[in-house]
Amino acid sequence: MSNVKVYSTPACPYCRKAKEFLHENNIEFEDINIAADQRTAREIIEKTGRMSVPVIDIDGKYIIGYDEPALKETLHIK
Amino acid sequence: MLDVVIIGAGIAGCTAAVYAARNRMDYLLVSDNFGGQFLESGMILNYPGVIQTDGFKFRSAFEKQLEFNGVQRLIGPHIKKIESIENGFRLIGDRQEFETQTVIIATGSHPRKLNVPGEDSFLNRGVTYCSVCDGPLFADKIIAIIGGGNSALEGIHFTHRIAKKIYLINIEDHFSAHAYLSETIASFENVEVIDKARTFEIFGDDFVQGLRYEREGKQYQLDVHGIIIEIGRTPNTDFLKGFVELDEKKHVVIDCQSRTSVEGVFAAGDCASGLEYQYVIAAGQGCIALLKAARYLSNRRDF
Repeated sequence: MSNVKVYSTPACPYCRKAKEFLHENNIEFEDINIAADQRTAREIIEKTGRMSVPVIDIDGKYIIGYDEPALKETLHIK
Repeated sequence: MLDVVIIGAGIAGCTAAVYAARNRMDYLLVSDNFGGQFLESGMILNYPGVIQTDGFKFRSAFEKQLEFNGVQRLIGPHIKKIESIENGFRLIGDRQEFETQTVIIATGSHPRKLNVPGEDSFLNRGVTYCSVCDGPLFADKIIAIIGGGNSALEGIHFTHRIAKKIYLINIEDHFSAHAYLSETIASFENVEVIDKARTFEIFGDDFVQGLRYEREGKQYQLDVHGIIIEIGRTPNTDFLKGFVELDEKKHVVIDCQSRTSVEGVFAAGDCASGLEYQYVIAAGQGCIALLKAARYLSNRRDF
């Protein structure tokens, strides 16, 4: 089973869509609100080189934005 | 052949679909996404009967309303072309084709670009078009919001508690926004308005470091670590070129009955020429377009 983390901000609709997608596909994930955790926010910006949410970390692979085809491929969802 | 295909699942398209379902028409709502532009709205305060909501809650309410009315929708296909055929139209999607007697175009619009050097290369590296998404990443940073309309001022309302300082770069000498938005800006101590300013360059290294603008013939540099661009919208109508008449800003030209230059084709919402672009107007136009399409079909059947 994949280790999935979602780095998000509370009002971001694409973050909510991403989380909805994971819920619908019964994929457990850790939800990290980076608006409330600036240290993690800085870390994730440095690691990805992007200032954009959501960032979805699947076993160390970063998917930036709500990219359904990429999520499906990485999580092997048909 | 279907009675009507509605292209786009924002407010205009969803409203048309609810009316189509309730009129028991043979219809389809086709869209490459569900929710349209309102999904990105941080606050909605002017929709009749709704005191206060946000884009995501509004989308959920719409989804429940579509389910309640048994609306048939197909989210996924992106319509690339419309052709006239005998007694109707053929819609060509990326994988599928649909044949229908009438069409309602409700494809909305997308953020207009500044078209300056650095805008594309710093996208998601400090440049964003979605303040409610990426605004929180600008905590304690000095940022610029470019624009002077409702979306730009909503962006300020959303980010002024997050960012350290916000420059509002407005190309005009006044705001073109709702009074309730513009009158509060003056009370935000960390907001500085620079008017009559035209941004001509965005620069940086790995991330945005600033922008350059021109004001009354002089050039200035502003050091900022985030840039939110909110300078209006461009209609999603490229696929309609040569099929229906578009105006100089690429809106589908419609009359007061939502009719386009092609008989049997109607348009509604932000993709249509309406001069004002509001959620409630999109809903009204979606309703008119569907009712006029239904009337067009019943008149045609009478002959």
